[in-house]
Amino acid sequence: MRYIRLHKIFIAQYLKKLMEYKADFLLGAIGLLLTQVFQLAFLGIIFSQIPALIGWSFQEILFIYGFSLIAKTLDHLFTDNLWMVGYRIIRKGEFDKYLTRPINTLYHVIAENFCVDALGEMLTCILLLAYSIPSLDMPFHWYTIPLWIVVAVFATLIYTSLKIMTAAISFWTKASGHITHMLYMTNDFSKYPVSIYNKFVQTVITYVIPFAFTAYFPASYFLTGNNPWFCIGGTVIAGTVLFALALFIWHKGLSAYESAGS
Amino acid sequence: MSRIKRFFRTYKPFTRAGVQEMVAYRANFICFFIGEIMSAFIMYFVWKAVFLSSGSKTFMGFTMEDMVVYLFISFLTDYLTYSDGAFAVGEEIVEGSIAMRMIRPCSFEMSFLFQEIGNRLISAAMIFAPMVVGVEIYRYAIAGVVRFHPGYFLIYIASMLIAYMISFYFNVCYGFMAFFFKNLWGTSLIKETLVSFLSGGMIPLAFLPSGLAAVLNFLPFASLRYTPIMIYMGMYSPSEIAWRMGLQVFWLVVMFALSKLIWHSAVKHLSVQGG
Amino acid sequence: MENMIIAENLRKEFKKVIKEPGVKGAVKALFKPKKEIVTAVDDISFTVPKGEILGFIGPNGAGKSTVIKMLTGILMPTAGFCRINGKIPQEDRKNYVREIGVVFGQRTQLWWDLALRETYAVLKEIYQVPDEQYKKRMAFLNEVLELDSFITSPVRTLSLGQRMRADIAASLLHSPKVLFLDEPTIGLDVVVKENIRSAIKKINEEEGTTVILTTHDLADIELLCERIVMIDKGRKVFDGAISDLKHNFGDVRTLEFELVNGPDFKLLDYNRRFKLTQDDIHAERDGSMARVRFDTAKVSVENVVSYTLSTVHVKDLNIKDVEIEEIIKKLYRREVSL
Repeated sequence: MRYIRLHKIFIAQYLKKLMEYKADFLLGAIGLLLTQVFQLAFLGIIFSQIPALIGWSFQEILFIYGFSLIAKTLDHLFTDNLWMVGYRIIRKGEFDKYLTRPINTLYHVIAENFCVDALGEMLTCILLLAYSIPSLDMPFHWYTIPLWIVVAVFATLIYTSLKIMTAAISFWTKASGHITHMLYMTNDFSKYPVSIYNKFVQTVITYVIPFAFTAYFPASYFLTGNNPWFCIGGTVIAGTVLFALALFIWHKGLSAYESAGS
Repeated sequence: MSRIKRFFRTYKPFTRAGVQEMVAYRANFICFFIGEIMSAFIMYFVWKAVFLSSGSKTFMGFTMEDMVVYLFISFLTDYLTYSDGAFAVGEEIVEGSIAMRMIRPCSFEMSFLFQEIGNRLISAAMIFAPMVVGVEIYRYAIAGVVRFHPGYFLIYIASMLIAYMISFYFNVCYGFMAFFFKNLWGTSLIKETLVSFLSGGMIPLAFLPSGLAAVLNFLPFASLRYTPIMIYMGMYSPSEIAWRMGLQVFWLVVMFALSKLIWHSAVKHLSVQGG
Repeated sequence: MENMIIAENLRKEFKKVIKEPGVKGAVKALFKPKKEIVTAVDDISFTVPKGEILGFIGPNGAGKSTVIKMLTGILMPTAGFCRINGKIPQEDRKNYVREIGVVFGQRTQLWWDLALRETYAVLKEIYQVPDEQYKKRMAFLNEVLELDSFITSPVRTLSLGQRMRADIAASLLHSPKVLFLDEPTIGLDVVVKENIRSAIKKINEEEGTTVILTTHDLADIELLCERIVMIDKGRKVFDGAISDLKHNFGDVRTLEFELVNGPDFKLLDYNRRFKLTQDDIHAERDGSMARVRFDTAKVSVENVVSYTLSTVHVKDLNIKDVEIEEIIKKLYRREVSL
């Protein structure tokens, strides 16, 4: 309860800050929106020449693409400050501050910043889903909407956990932003059906860096109703396991933290 | 002659600083590079699926082999001609430390240029040869004949160097703009996305509707990336190469002049604002 | 009196990777880094009674900040332990930090882009200060630290002195029992320093807050602290009252006199007369005023005065007390040992 109250306060503070830097946030959001628009233009050009991409129609591809943005956007919106841990906070000794506060350090770091720029991606996400879903004949049950929510939460956890783990590396190495970057970039693989990749890539994005569970697997379940246990269960398990591992590494890291300067 | 010598002596330390910086952070560089090249591999798989689905050997005039060469040479060209002087200039302007550069007895953008050249030299040494060899091995494995053309390769390097200089001055122009709008992250995201699309970074310009493609082919963005790639791939005839590279030089001159112009009005702006 | 802070045999070691030059060294460092253990804090023990202001001093790199960071629970000691307010910081960090306040002078804990009062609103929630108490507390801090004039300004627009006052207020919002101040006067001008000192004094007196203060400005120490702990190269070199320090390390005195005839000053040559170096006795002239600083362990006050009076005509004469700064400077230069 207390943390929810705190979160409200942090968001309120953040919105005040936002008002001060309106232009910056607007430009950032436009930039992210534009990136998505060009990506979609690319897909549009491809589908002007072929009817389907190894069995997936344009609408289905757009659905998977849009679906992949749900977790990415939520993670981007709420936990963007984790990037700063690996890039700056540890190296410059700014982490001291969090350790002198009577709240969970990980929570504090995450809550301190929101990235409203992510709204640019969120807009794309909503437009894509709203455009593709009506033309797709997707199975719908009473539990479909609760499942969407479950998937959104655990898929976001996959993103966030990977960022926590790689950020925590900087407790030992002082800086790890580049490692976060390297792992994070594999999320782009999840925008397309995994069947387009070779076995090696499929294995990696399913079992090692399970970004496939943030988009393709759950999206394919919602499209076809097939494989619920693997597609949804996998997302829940991957999110849970990764999050537990992330918390463990973070806490190990805290005791290895050496601050900076004399 | 001695003037040229003195010129290089003045800026050598900047190059050395750039090299050292790169060596010190090479682990970061490698991680960063792997993260970036991932997108080229994703595209590779997407195109493979496209060719598989279309059932045809060519897609809008490109074979799969062409496409792979295009993807990776495009990535390489972009990586080597990328100039982040803009960010450095912009950051220094926003922080106010630009004054430190201005009081040194050497040209302001030259010090950036030489520092960056040092940087680029190291990244080129690490990725250039492996990527070109990789692409050529792939081509050989697919086609069964050596497709590597030393002539085109050398012209490609020349064209890429011009592209780098255009990129540098273009980004200096953009960096100087930070005098006027103080935002960096958002505007550079917009700039980079636009440049990437307009220069053929996401899809070959030939795939775009012909009217749009013709316009984009003339704009400076094509000179940044599309022209060198097309030269490497042997897509241009000798006369076309001459005309394309002439266009590159034209845009270089324009960007250079533009950067001077913006710089002068920026300095005026700076003195009015009191830094 | 009960002890608020107990530090026993604190020790902190850091592993440092030794970088070898050249590409070969870099490759080697990647696979098999050569590590060296640096002892930043070596077996330091001390106690601080409740309500005391302790000056914690030492030259740069002596390990002051490392000790403070162990006491505040930021760093884990390699050996030894500390108990503050009956708690071991590293064992139950969240509960422990609720009752301490920390200010790092070099770094702010305020939210950079927000109006100052927003920082306090967030801290109120973080430390769960009840509304009623928060109002009273803000009124008190306003009075002591004079925040009123800039409480609605964004933090990034504050001057250094304002920022420091704001930071100290932030650390006191939850009425901590112990206050850690790491260089709270760094980079400030004399007037602001004076302001901050009197605020610290006032809070200490009115609320009985125990304070540990590190500083390079010895005036802070002289004006605020009864007792100091001095460390050097990670070891404790002095622990005691300031009066003891003066007593133990010889009296450095300053003799001030006004010359009848200014240029006469050149007739005085203390170094040759007493066969002492510039460090032991040193004279300088400022118009008709002259100042001689000397170590009474090396030469008596009487001898200096009589030599001066016998050599030049003096209008007025004044002997000033020991300055702690002198002693500590000497200690830093390692001219005195323990």
